Amino acid sequence: MPGESLPEGDLIPMHTVVLTKGVPDFREGQVSFDEDGHLERGKTPTVMNPNDKHALRGALQTKVRHGGTVSVMSMGPPGYKEVLQEAMESVYADDLYLLSDREMAAADTWATAITLTTGIEKLEEMPDLLFAGFKTADGETGHTGPQTAWGLDIPMVTHVVALDVDEESETVRVKRLVEGDIEEIETVEAPMPALIVMDPEFEPSYRTAGERLTHKDLRADTQERAPDFEDDLTVWNHEALNLDPDFIGLDGSPTIVESVDPIPKPPAEREATMVDADDAEGMESVLEELQPHAAGASEAAGD
Amino acid sequence: MPEFDPSEHDISEIGPKVQAIDDADELRAILEAEEAGEDRAPVKQVIESRIEKLEEEDEEPDGLPDLTDMSTAEAANAIRDIDDPDELRELLETEEAGEDRGGVKTQIQNRLDSVTEDEDADEEAAEEEPKTPEERHPDLDHPTADKRHVRAVEDGEYRDMWVYCETQQGELIDVSKEMLGKARQLMDDYNDDYDADEKVIALVVGEDIQEQAELAIEYGADVALYQEDPRLDRFLHKPYTEIFVDAARGTGHPHGREDRPDVEWHGYDEPRYVLFPATNNGRDLSATVQAELDSGLASDCSDLHITDVLISNPAKTGEPGTKKEFERVLHMKRPDFSGFEYSTILCLDKPDREFHPQGGSVIPGAFDVPEPDPEREGEVVEWDAPLDDGWFSVDVTDHDQLDEGVDLTGREVVVALGRGIGDDPSKGIELGVDLVDAFEDADLGLSRGVITASYQFEGHVEQYITEERQIGESGQVVEPPVYIAAGISGAVQHKVGMDESDTIISINTDTDADIVDFSDYFIEGDLFEVLPAMTEALESGESIGAVAEAGGATDD
Repeated sequence: MPGESLPEGDLIPMHTVVLTKGVPDFREGQVSFDEDGHLERGKTPTVMNPNDKHALRGALQTKVRHGGTVSVMSMGPPGYKEVLQEAMESVYADDLYLLSDREMAAADTWATAITLTTGIEKLEEMPDLLFAGFKTADGETGHTGPQTAWGLDIPMVTHVVALDVDEESETVRVKRLVEGDIEEIETVEAPMPALIVMDPEFEPSYRTAGERLTHKDLRADTQERAPDFEDDLTVWNHEALNLDPDFIGLDGSPTIVESVDPIPKPPAEREATMVDADDAEGMESVLEELQPHAAGASEAAGD
Repeated sequence: MPEFDPSEHDISEIGPKVQAIDDADELRAILEAEEAGEDRAPVKQVIESRIEKLEEEDEEPDGLPDLTDMSTAEAANAIRDIDDPDELRELLETEEAGEDRGGVKTQIQNRLDSVTEDEDADEEAAEEEPKTPEERHPDLDHPTADKRHVRAVEDGEYRDMWVYCETQQGELIDVSKEMLGKARQLMDDYNDDYDADEKVIALVVGEDIQEQAELAIEYGADVALYQEDPRLDRFLHKPYTEIFVDAARGTGHPHGREDRPDVEWHGYDEPRYVLFPATNNGRDLSATVQAELDSGLASDCSDLHITDVLISNPAKTGEPGTKKEFERVLHMKRPDFSGFEYSTILCLDKPDREFHPQGGSVIPGAFDVPEPDPEREGEVVEWDAPLDDGWFSVDVTDHDQLDEGVDLTGREVVVALGRGIGDDPSKGIELGVDLVDAFEDADLGLSRGVITASYQFEGHVEQYITEERQIGESGQVVEPPVYIAAGISGAVQHKVGMDESDTIISINTDTDADIVDFSDYFIEGDLFEVLPAMTEALESGESIGAVAEAGGATDD
C-alpha cells in the first residue's frame, strides 16, 4: 500500500467542539437596571454563560483522558472574543471560532442553531463530540443545543451528569437526568459523532495520577498561549459561512420579544413587626415563635 | 370531459394544475367532477377561487369613458381607475382635439404622471429585488444550499392546539394534565372569540399507553392520539420528534410522509398552536419539533393567552415604519433574564415565510390540574408512524428512580439563606445549618441568588449547594409553620415559593428590602450575628438577651 497508514491499534485523535455564549453578568453588583427596572445591557459586563462551564468541563475531561483537540465556538458580537479567551483558559482549548456579523444579530434559537450548524460543517471534519451547556442565563431557553443537533442530524444526549467515551467502539456512555413527577437517572449509549448537553450537576473526574498530570501540563501550556489567543482565533462572517441573511439573525428568527416587563413589586401583604437585632425585648418575641419548634421542645412540653 | 379528473390527484397537485387553466367553463366541469367524485372541500375551494378570479378579469370594462359631457370633477373620477398610460394618452389627445379644457387636461396629465411613476417605481423595485437568493446575494456562492433546513409550508392552513402529554412509568405526569386544562380553556375562549370550531389534540407516546390517551380526553382533549411500541418505552429524541411531526403534518404536506392516511380530524397543513411540558425531555422535544416544522418557540412559559396584536417590527411587517395586525396570536409570557424580568414572546409569520405552529413549553405547576371528567366525549386514535431503525441509535440501557432527595415541604421550620451570606458564604451556610439543627424538624433552603452566584464554598458545606434546595418559582414551594429568611431580599419569584408560610421571619440589614412586605417579623441586623444568637437561645432555652450577654462572655 502506498502512503503512510496509522499503526494498527492507534486511534485517530478525538476532536471535540464546545459551544458557548456570552451573557450579561447577573451577579449582584455587576448587573445594572434602569429606573423602570429594565436590564441595562450596555452597563452590564459580558461574561461566559455560567452553565457553559459544565460543557467546557466535559470537553476538558475528554481531552485529558483521551487526548486530541478541543475547539470552542461562539456566535456573537466581536466583544465575545474575551468570552472565548476565558473559555480557552478554562478548557485549555486548542483553537477558537467566532461567528460574528451584523446580519447574525438578534437571532433567536432557530437562527442561532442554523448559524452554528453551518459553522461546524465548515470545519475540516465533523467533530467526534459537541458539547453545549444547558440554558443561557439571558435567554434561558435551552433550545440551541438540541436544535444544533437537529441541524447536523446527529444523535444527542441531554442533561448529562456523567460521561465516558469509548474510543474503540466510537460510543459515549452517559448518565442523564429525567425530571417530571419523579426524578430518574438513565444510562444511555450513543454513537459518535454526537452532541452532549451537560447538566449543571455534571462533575468531571480524573481517576489516575497520569490524568491529573496531563491536566496540570495542559493548564501550564494554555496559560502560556492565552494572552495571544487571537493567534488561535478564526472569525467567520455570513459570507464566509455562505449564509443567506434572510435566514439568520433577526430576519431568520421565528420569534420576537413583544414586551419586557419588570417583575412587578407585589403590594404589602403582611404587617411586619420591625425588630432591631440589638433590641433584646423585640428578639424575645421572635424567639417565642421559634421555641415550640426547638429540638426536644415537644418532650419538654410533656407530649 | 374536463381536462383532468380531479379524483386522480392529491390536493397539492391540483393547485398548480388549476392555476394553469384560463377557461372558466373548463374549471366548472372540473368542479362538477370533483363534486360528483371525492367532493373534497379544499379542492373545491381552490377551483372556485380560480373561477372567481377569471370572472373578475372578464368583468373589467372595455373602452374608454367619453369625457365630453363631463365636468372636470366628473372626468377626474372617471379616469381614476385607469392604469394604462396608453389609454390615458389617448384620452388626452381626444380632449385636446375636442373640448381642450385646461382643468380636464391637468387631471389626465396628473393621472398619467402618477401611473407612469408607479411603473418606474415598480421597475426599480424589480431591479432591486431579483428573484433568487443567488441573484440577491452575489457575494454568496450558493446561498440556497442552506435552505435545506427550511421545511416551510406556503399559504398553509393551520388549526387546533396540540398538546404533547409526557408520561413517566406509563402515566401522564401532572404538567400534562395542567396543559390539557389550560389548552381546553384557551380553545373554548378562542372558539367563542373567533366564532371558530377548533380542537385540543393530545399526543401520547410510549410502550403501553392507550389508557393515558383515554385519560387525556377526560382532562380536556377532543382527540387523543397515541403511538405505542416497545422501543418507545423511554423518551428518545429522534423517534419522538419524528412521530410528533408525522402526526402534525397534514396530508399532502410538502415535507410529510407520502402515504400518510387522510384522517377526518386533521384537515389542515400544520397545527396552529403546540404546547410541551418544560421538563428536561419536554423542552428538548419542543425545540426539535418546532425546528423541524420551521417555526419558533418560547420556553418555560408561566402564562398564555390568545389575542390579535398590532406589530411594527420590520422583520415581521416587511416594511419599516408600518404597523401590521396579526390575528389569533399566542402570547407566551415567561420569566427571563434569570428571573429579573418577564418577557412576552410571540412567534409570527414573515411576509415570505410562515412561522406556524406557534408554541412553547409550559412550567410545571403554572396552571392547575383540572378535575377529570369521565363523561367527556372525545376520539381516541392510534397513530402508526413507521419507525425507522436508524432513529434508535441512542440506547437507554438502564434507568433508576432517584431518591426523593431533599424535600423541604412538610417541615415545621425552613431556614432559607440568600445573598446576604455573600461576605463569607461558607460561614453563612454553616450558621444556617446550625440553626436548622436547633429545631426538631427543619431543613435548609436557598434563594436562587445563592445557586446562581459563583461563590466559592468550602468542601464541608458544598453538599448543601444544590438546586433541589432552591425555593421559589423554579424550585420548591413550601408553606411551613415557621419560615426564616436570612439575607433574602424577597424577589417575587422567591415569594411565590414561601408566602403561604404561617409565620415569616426575615433577617436583613436593608429595611427597604421587598421582603418587609411579606414578613411577620423583620429583624434588622446582620445574619452572621443574628443566626448564631438564635441558635444558642434555642439550644439553651434561655432568653436571647441572656444568650447575647453570655455569648459575649464565652467568645473570649
